[in-house]
Amino acid sequence: MTKRILLGVVATALIIAAAYANFYIAPTERTMGVIQRIFYFHAATAWAGEMVFFVCFVANLLYVWKREQKYDWLGVTCAEVGLACITIVLITGPIWAKPVWGIYWTWDARLTSTFVLWLLYVSYLLLRTLIEEPGRRALLSALFGIFAFLDVPLVFFSIRWWRTQHPAPVIMGGQGSGLDPTMKKVFFFNVLVMHIFCLFLIVERYVLEKLRHDVDLLQREAEVQ
Amino acid sequence: MALFSNTATLLSKELRTEFRSRELLTTTSVFILIVLVLFSFATNPGTEEARQFAPGLLWLAILFASSLMFQSCFLREQVNDTLSSLRLAVSDPFAIFLAKLIANTLFLLLTEALMLPFFAIFYNISLWSKLPALSLVLLLGSVGIAVAGTAISAISAQARMRELLLPLLLLPLLTPVLVVSATVTGSLLDRDPVVQWKGIAFLGVFDVVFLTALWIFGQYFLEE
Amino acid sequence: MKNLDSVFAAYVVGWGIFFIFFISIVRRTSALRSEVDRLKNSLPRGK
Repeated sequence: MTKRILLGVVATALIIAAAYANFYIAPTERTMGVIQRIFYFHAATAWAGEMVFFVCFVANLLYVWKREQKYDWLGVTCAEVGLACITIVLITGPIWAKPVWGIYWTWDARLTSTFVLWLLYVSYLLLRTLIEEPGRRALLSALFGIFAFLDVPLVFFSIRWWRTQHPAPVIMGGQGSGLDPTMKKVFFFNVLVMHIFCLFLIVERYVLEKLRHDVDLLQREAEVQ
Repeated sequence: MALFSNTATLLSKELRTEFRSRELLTTTSVFILIVLVLFSFATNPGTEEARQFAPGLLWLAILFASSLMFQSCFLREQVNDTLSSLRLAVSDPFAIFLAKLIANTLFLLLTEALMLPFFAIFYNISLWSKLPALSLVLLLGSVGIAVAGTAISAISAQARMRELLLPLLLLPLLTPVLVVSATVTGSLLDRDPVVQWKGIAFLGVFDVVFLTALWIFGQYFLEE
Repeated sequence: MKNLDSVFAAYVVGWGIFFIFFISIVRRTSALRSEVDRLKNSLPRGK
């Protein structure tokens, strides 16, 4: 319990530090001005979200292979945390894009595959609510999760190679190249912070899932009485 | 090899079941026709813009039809409780998937063949010269749709609200197929037709990736 | 500074979503903990 509280405190402290860095340490971008500061939060959350979905994929594989409940709990946990991240990415992106490029949205490879990723994992969670039996639910959602994750790079490249028109605005941080060194440091600090914060969320959500299982067991025991 | 003989037996069963009643083929073909007609009402048929949208609309119609067609795939087994006997009848559970997959691809291709003449007429597009290349795109696209559709059908058959769930799970997965097939078909039906071999290769890759995934994980879909 | 309200909106919405997610976890966890206690107490002694 104390380790969890410690993680939460560390995560909060890091978030505050990152906010300070985003607004006071990072220099103002020449062309976009202040609004570019959304980038640190937005892109770092995107990276963390993708990492979380990768962990979900691994958890799904491990469940199908080993059939241990903890992998199912990890899977649903990562799906929810990842979905929170991607939701934020899909909202902060347009908030940034509109003042800068005049449009909320464009169907380029990154945005489209992010949106499809979001749809797939919403479906993953929806699927879980529609299967009652825990073992079956765990297995079928793990299988769908595997197929979904395999699909995402295919979506990305299909759009990139067959749907890119005129140079689309680089909305989601293609600015890795040619980024000012201070900006780069601030960005990677944000990436670290978001990973740690996501780890904190994963731990808390995982504990909840385990508790749910304990309650189910106890309820079944009580029914037997 | 046992897999092939098992698959052949099951495949003939699937085909016989369908061709006895032909209900799946007829309803799906009529549905694609209705969708094409509706698209014509929604857009402005006969214009140059309609010609540009036509390939995309064709593949959309195929996608919608497939999400209906695959409903019965595993549901049929569930309703009649034949899945356990199927599993006992074969040594490799992948045979069940392979048989259904091949059957579904064939059914899809049949409905597409039935519907292509109407498509050509509605949108004033001549298909004859491009038929070989078009057939290749239709084949690879349909295989991709069928692989994903058969897998998702196995999942949704074991859940509630399966009629809504199947399209919900299937359609996002098939985005790459829609994008690439529509684009390749579009450039085939253009004024100066071009065969996009990269696109055809991509469809092949999609098919191989999902077929491999189904081969590795197929047995788990049907577990008791 | 122009666009500062957009920056503000993005950070507020972003962290707001994380905050709501976290709070929902905390609430569900405490509800389940009390449920666990209730069930444990309702079961006969010596179990």
